[in-house]
Amino acid sequence: MASLRCIRELSRRATTVLSISQTRLISSIRGLELSGKSITQAEAPVQNRPLTRDFLWYSRSQGRQFASKSNGTDESSEGEDEEEMEVEREYSPAEIGYKVMGPLKSSERLFKPYEPVFAVVQIGSHQFKVSNGDSIFTEKLKFCDINDKLTLTKVLLLGSASQTIIGRPILPDATVHAVVEEHALDEKVLIFKKKRRKNYRRTTGHRQELTKLRITDIQGIEKPEPEIVLKPSKSADTQQPEAELVG
Amino acid sequence: MALRGAWQFQKLVVSYCNWGGSSRGIRAFMESELPALIEKNPQLEVATELSRGQHPYLKGIYRNRNERVVCVKNMDPEQVLLNATRLRNSLGRKVVKLRTRHVTKHPSVQGTWTTAVKF
Repeated sequence: MASLRCIRELSRRATTVLSISQTRLISSIRGLELSGKSITQAEAPVQNRPLTRDFLWYSRSQGRQFASKSNGTDESSEGEDEEEMEVEREYSPAEIGYKVMGPLKSSERLFKPYEPVFAVVQIGSHQFKVSNGDSIFTEKLKFCDINDKLTLTKVLLLGSASQTIIGRPILPDATVHAVVEEHALDEKVLIFKKKRRKNYRRTTGHRQELTKLRITDIQGIEKPEPEIVLKPSKSADTQQPEAELVG
Repeated sequence: MALRGAWQFQKLVVSYCNWGGSSRGIRAFMESELPALIEKNPQLEVATELSRGQHPYLKGIYRNRNERVVCVKNMDPEQVLLNATRLRNSLGRKVVKLRTRHVTKHPSVQGTWTTAVKF
């Protein structure tokens, strides 16, 4: 709505400006803005008071349109540059979240039984103490799909029952392997704002996008060998109750 | 939506109306984006249902026999694709507030600390 009002005002004032300065015809808003610039540069010394007010308002309104990035049909060409600049910010696919994507999971058995080894791993700005078989909920990770294998490269600490390896700040040789289980939305939280006696009340809903990772393997530390528990055979089982009864 | 490697999302039911205007988006989705979705997810069964006079919806059936229904009336095909992808990406669990971000069965490796532990 504000943009429509701006456009109407602009066209009105532009016609007045045109009638005085006799520049070329204005067809689109882009053209308006260009000619507006040329007018300010060329006609600056010759302005009357109402004209200067118009120009100031004009340039300010142009600035406002730039910043607001509203439903731009004609402004979209200028708005796009700003948006592109924002998106290009440093979003290299995996390094920002300290994860590297491995290939998609094929029919391999990745899910091993529990090993008593833990690691402190950082994803984005959150750190977790993970072990084999744990699940972690992180902020939504782009560039990875369900059932993708990830390697979490930023490992700060490794520990087992006998050893602890502390990184300064990270351990370069340690890796933690994980698999993406789901990308889902959290439950809706209602954000309610109120200022009493001021007739101000706002309600917003928000659902955070999360990714669930399942940790499969921790590498970089010696793992204790699993104890092999000998299961008693069936013949021994049938004999034992008899022995107990007798004893 | 794969729990330990097993896909949880089993079936997607696309219900639409061939007359109503609220189904326009989903009809366009079925022509343009649904074949690509089927190709990318070979493990998924997709069924289309015609229900005349009703608003369109997407129904997702999961392995825990949970059904999630999303109404897609008056949506663009891109929004319908987003909703379908969200259904496909989630496990069938109930949407509840997270208690902790770290779910584990073995919280301690070196022994839980108490005040009696001496290093």
